[in-house]
Amino acid sequence: MSFNTAMETAVSGMRAQTKRLRVVAENLANSDTTSATPGGDPYRRKTISFRSIVDRETGIAKVKVDKIGRDDSAFQTVYQPGHPSADAEGYVLRPNVSRTVEIMDMQEAQRSYEANLTLLTGAKNMLQRTIDLLRS
Amino acid sequence: MSAIASPLVSAAYQAVQQGPANGGKVAGGDKGGFAAMLEDAARSAVETMNNSEKTTMKAAAGEADLLEVVSSVNDAESTLRTVIAVRDKVVQSYQEILRMPI
Repeated sequence: MSFNTAMETAVSGMRAQTKRLRVVAENLANSDTTSATPGGDPYRRKTISFRSIVDRETGIAKVKVDKIGRDDSAFQTVYQPGHPSADAEGYVLRPNVSRTVEIMDMQEAQRSYEANLTLLTGAKNMLQRTIDLLRS
Repeated sequence: MSAIASPLVSAAYQAVQQGPANGGKVAGGDKGGFAAMLEDAARSAVETMNNSEKTTMKAAAGEADLLEVVSSVNDAESTLRTVIAVRDKVVQSYQEILRMPI
Protein backbone atom coordinates (compact mmCIF):
# COMPACT_ATOMS: atom_id res chain seq x y z
CA MET A 1 0.00 0.00 0.00
CA SER A 2 1.36 3.43 -0.85
CA PHE A 3 0.47 4.78 2.59
CA ASN A 4 2.84 2.28 4.11
CA THR A 5 5.51 3.27 1.60
CA ALA A 6 5.22 6.92 2.61
CA MET A 7 5.34 5.97 6.27
CA GLU A 8 8.43 3.78 5.82
CA THR A 9 10.20 6.62 4.04
CA ALA A 10 9.29 9.10 6.78
CA VAL A 11 10.52 6.70 9.45
CA SER A 12 13.85 6.36 7.62
CA GLY A 13 14.14 10.16 7.62
CA MET A 14 13.47 10.25 11.34
CA ARG A 15 16.10 7.58 11.93
CA ALA A 16 18.64 9.60 9.93
CA GLN A 17 17.90 12.75 11.93
CA THR A 18 18.36 10.79 15.17
CA LYS A 19 21.87 9.84 14.01
CA ARG A 20 22.52 13.48 13.15
CA LEU A 21 21.50 14.47 16.66
CA ARG A 22 23.94 11.90 18.00
CA VAL A 23 26.79 13.48 16.04
CA VAL A 24 25.82 16.93 17.33
CA ALA A 25 25.82 15.56 20.87
CA GLU A 26 29.31 14.10 20.37
CA ASN A 27 30.60 17.41 19.04
CA LEU A 28 29.04 19.44 21.84
CA ALA A 29 30.22 17.07 24.55
CA ASN A 30 33.76 17.22 23.20
CA SER A 31 33.86 20.97 22.57
CA ASP A 32 36.43 21.39 25.36
CA THR A 33 38.45 18.25 24.73
CA THR A 34 42.12 19.09 24.22
CA SER A 35 44.95 16.75 23.33
CA ALA A 36 46.08 14.09 25.77
CA THR A 37 49.74 14.86 24.97
CA PRO A 38 51.44 18.29 25.03
CA GLY A 39 51.25 19.99 21.62
CA GLY A 40 48.98 17.29 20.13
CA ASP A 41 45.75 17.67 18.16
CA PRO A 42 42.50 18.20 20.09
CA TYR A 43 39.08 16.70 19.26
CA ARG A 44 38.18 17.16 15.62
CA ARG A 45 34.59 18.06 14.76
CA LYS A 46 32.54 15.29 13.12
CA THR A 47 30.22 15.91 10.19
CA ILE A 48 27.36 13.83 8.85
CA SER A 49 26.01 13.49 5.32
CA PHE A 50 22.96 11.71 3.96
CA ARG A 51 22.30 9.66 0.86
CA SER A 52 19.16 8.59 -0.93
CA ILE A 53 18.79 4.82 -1.37
CA VAL A 54 16.22 2.39 -2.72
CA ASP A 55 15.42 -0.62 -0.58
CA ARG A 56 16.06 -3.65 -2.80
CA GLU A 57 13.48 -5.88 -1.09
CA THR A 58 10.55 -3.51 -0.99
CA GLY A 59 11.50 -0.92 -3.64
CA ILE A 60 10.90 1.91 -1.17
CA ALA A 61 13.07 5.02 -1.53
CA LYS A 62 14.68 5.92 1.78
CA VAL A 63 17.33 8.16 3.24
CA LYS A 64 20.42 6.74 4.84
CA VAL A 65 23.45 8.16 6.61
CA ASP A 66 26.13 8.29 3.92
CA LYS A 67 29.11 8.75 6.18
CA ILE A 68 30.27 10.39 9.34
CA GLY A 69 33.24 12.49 8.25
CA ARG A 70 35.70 14.90 9.81
CA ASP A 71 35.73 18.66 9.66
CA ASP A 72 39.23 19.61 8.45
CA SER A 73 39.01 23.29 9.34
CA ALA A 74 41.73 24.84 11.49
CA PHE A 75 41.81 24.53 15.28
CA GLN A 76 41.66 27.56 17.53
CA THR A 77 44.86 28.49 19.31
CA VAL A 78 44.84 29.84 22.84
CA TYR A 79 47.84 31.03 24.86
CA GLN A 80 47.71 29.07 28.11
CA PRO A 81 51.22 28.12 29.32
CA GLY A 82 50.04 26.26 32.40
CA HIS A 83 47.77 23.88 30.48
CA PRO A 84 48.80 20.19 30.37
CA SER A 85 48.21 20.13 26.58
CA ALA A 86 50.23 23.28 25.86
CA ASP A 87 53.14 23.03 23.41
CA ALA A 88 56.67 24.37 24.04
CA GLU A 89 55.61 28.00 23.38
CA GLY A 90 52.61 27.75 25.70
CA TYR A 91 49.90 27.55 23.05
CA VAL A 92 46.98 25.12 23.39
CA LEU A 93 45.03 23.86 20.37
CA ARG A 94 41.30 23.85 20.99
CA PRO A 95 38.66 21.82 19.05
CA ASN A 96 37.20 23.32 15.85
CA VAL A 97 33.73 23.02 17.36
CA SER A 98 31.53 26.09 17.48
CA ARG A 99 28.68 25.76 19.94
CA THR A 100 26.49 28.13 17.92
CA VAL A 101 26.91 26.03 14.79
CA GLU A 102 26.15 22.83 16.72
CA ILE A 103 22.99 24.30 18.27
CA MET A 104 21.81 25.43 14.83
CA ASP A 105 22.49 21.95 13.51
CA MET A 106 20.46 20.50 16.36
CA GLN A 107 17.57 22.85 15.56
CA GLU A 108 17.73 21.77 11.93
CA ALA A 109 17.64 18.10 12.92
CA GLN A 110 14.69 18.82 15.19
CA ARG A 111 12.76 20.64 12.44
CA SER A 112 13.46 17.90 9.93
CA TYR A 113 12.32 15.26 12.42
CA GLU A 114 9.13 17.24 13.02
CA ALA A 115 8.50 17.49 9.29
CA ASN A 116 8.76 13.71 8.93
CA LEU A 117 6.53 13.27 11.95
CA THR A 118 3.92 15.55 10.38
CA LEU A 119 4.01 13.49 7.22
CA LEU A 120 3.53 10.34 9.27
CA THR A 121 0.50 11.87 11.00
CA GLY A 122 -0.87 13.01 7.65
CA ALA A 123 -0.48 9.60 6.04
CA LYS A 124 -2.12 7.97 9.05
CA ASN A 125 -5.06 10.36 8.88
CA MET A 126 -5.52 9.77 5.16
CA LEU A 127 -5.51 6.01 5.71
CA GLN A 128 -7.92 6.36 8.60
CA ARG A 129 -10.36 8.48 6.59
CA THR A 130 -10.23 5.99 3.74
CA ILE A 131 -11.07 3.09 6.06
CA ASP A 132 -13.90 5.16 7.52
CA LEU A 133 -15.50 5.18 4.07
CA LEU A 134 -16.43 1.54 4.71
CA ARG A 135 -18.32 2.43 7.86
CA SER A 136 -20.88 4.88 6.61
CA MET B 1 -15.41 -13.95 16.60
CA SER B 2 -18.88 -15.19 17.49
CA ALA B 3 -20.41 -12.14 15.80
CA ILE B 4 -19.70 -13.59 12.39
CA ALA B 5 -22.84 -15.05 10.95
CA SER B 6 -21.89 -15.76 7.36
CA PRO B 7 -20.80 -19.39 6.89
CA LEU B 8 -18.41 -18.28 4.19
CA VAL B 9 -16.65 -15.80 6.46
CA SER B 10 -16.57 -18.11 9.44
CA ALA B 11 -15.13 -20.86 7.27
CA ALA B 12 -12.39 -18.45 6.17
CA TYR B 13 -11.67 -17.51 9.77
CA GLN B 14 -11.54 -21.16 10.78
CA ALA B 15 -9.12 -21.88 7.97
CA VAL B 16 -6.86 -19.07 9.19
CA GLN B 17 -7.04 -20.24 12.79
CA GLN B 18 -6.20 -23.80 11.82
CA GLY B 19 -3.21 -22.55 9.87
CA PRO B 20 -1.90 -24.18 6.71
CA ALA B 21 -2.69 -27.69 8.02
CA ASN B 22 -5.57 -28.29 5.63
CA GLY B 23 -3.75 -26.73 2.72
CA GLY B 24 -5.52 -23.40 3.08
CA LYS B 25 -8.66 -24.79 1.51
CA VAL B 26 -11.94 -23.27 2.54
CA ALA B 27 -14.86 -25.63 2.81
CA GLY B 28 -17.84 -24.49 0.84
CA GLY B 29 -15.97 -21.79 -1.05
CA ASP B 30 -14.64 -22.16 -4.57
CA LYS B 31 -10.88 -21.81 -4.88
CA GLY B 32 -9.66 -18.38 -5.92
CA GLY B 33 -13.00 -16.82 -5.16
CA PHE B 34 -14.18 -14.38 -2.55
CA ALA B 35 -13.47 -16.75 0.34
CA ALA B 36 -9.87 -17.25 -0.78
CA MET B 37 -9.35 -13.51 -1.03
CA LEU B 38 -10.80 -13.04 2.43
CA GLU B 39 -8.59 -15.77 3.78
CA ASP B 40 -5.50 -14.21 2.25
CA ALA B 41 -6.34 -10.84 3.72
CA ALA B 42 -6.97 -12.32 7.16
CA ARG B 43 -3.71 -14.25 7.04
CA SER B 44 -1.67 -11.21 6.13
CA ALA B 45 -3.40 -9.19 8.84
CA VAL B 46 -2.55 -11.82 11.45
CA GLU B 47 1.04 -11.81 10.23
CA THR B 48 1.30 -8.01 10.54
CA MET B 49 0.00 -8.13 14.09
CA ASN B 50 2.33 -10.97 15.07
CA ASN B 51 5.20 -8.97 13.64
CA SER B 52 4.29 -5.94 15.72
CA GLU B 53 4.06 -8.07 18.84
CA LYS B 54 7.50 -9.52 18.16
CA THR B 55 8.99 -6.05 17.74
CA THR B 56 7.37 -4.89 20.96
CA MET B 57 8.84 -7.87 22.81
CA LYS B 58 12.25 -7.08 21.34
CA ALA B 59 11.93 -3.50 22.53
CA ALA B 60 11.06 -4.71 26.02
CA ALA B 61 14.28 -6.73 25.94
CA GLY B 62 16.15 -3.62 24.77
CA GLU B 63 16.96 -4.90 21.29
CA ALA B 64 14.72 -2.86 19.00
CA ASP B 65 14.68 0.91 18.72
CA LEU B 66 11.69 3.08 19.46
CA LEU B 67 11.04 4.12 15.86
CA GLU B 68 10.81 0.49 14.78
CA VAL B 69 8.26 -0.26 17.50
CA VAL B 70 6.16 2.80 16.72
CA SER B 71 6.08 2.08 12.99
CA SER B 72 5.21 -1.61 13.38
CA VAL B 73 2.53 -0.95 16.01
CA ASN B 74 1.12 1.74 13.75
CA ASP B 75 1.06 -0.74 10.91
CA ALA B 76 -0.73 -3.32 13.03
CA GLU B 77 -3.23 -0.76 14.23
CA SER B 78 -4.26 0.31 10.74
CA THR B 79 -4.46 -3.32 9.64
CA LEU B 80 -6.71 -4.17 12.56
CA ARG B 81 -8.93 -1.18 11.81
CA THR B 82 -9.22 -2.28 8.19
CA VAL B 83 -10.10 -5.83 9.22
CA ILE B 84 -12.74 -4.59 11.66
CA ALA B 85 -14.24 -2.24 9.05
CA VAL B 86 -14.41 -5.01 6.45
CA ARG B 87 -15.91 -7.46 8.95
CA ASP B 88 -18.56 -4.95 9.98
CA LYS B 89 -19.40 -4.34 6.37
CA VAL B 90 -19.67 -8.07 5.62
CA VAL B 91 -21.91 -8.66 8.65
CA GLN B 92 -24.01 -5.67 7.66
CA SER B 93 -24.47 -6.95 4.11
CA TYR B 94 -25.43 -10.37 5.44
CA GLN B 95 -28.06 -8.83 7.69
CA GLU B 96 -29.39 -6.83 4.75
CA ILE B 97 -29.85 -10.10 2.89
CA LEU B 98 -31.61 -11.67 5.92
CA ARG B 99 -34.07 -8.79 6.01
CA MET B 100 -34.93 -9.18 2.35
CA PRO B 101 -38.68 -9.77 1.87
CA ILE B 102 -39.39 -13.05 0.14
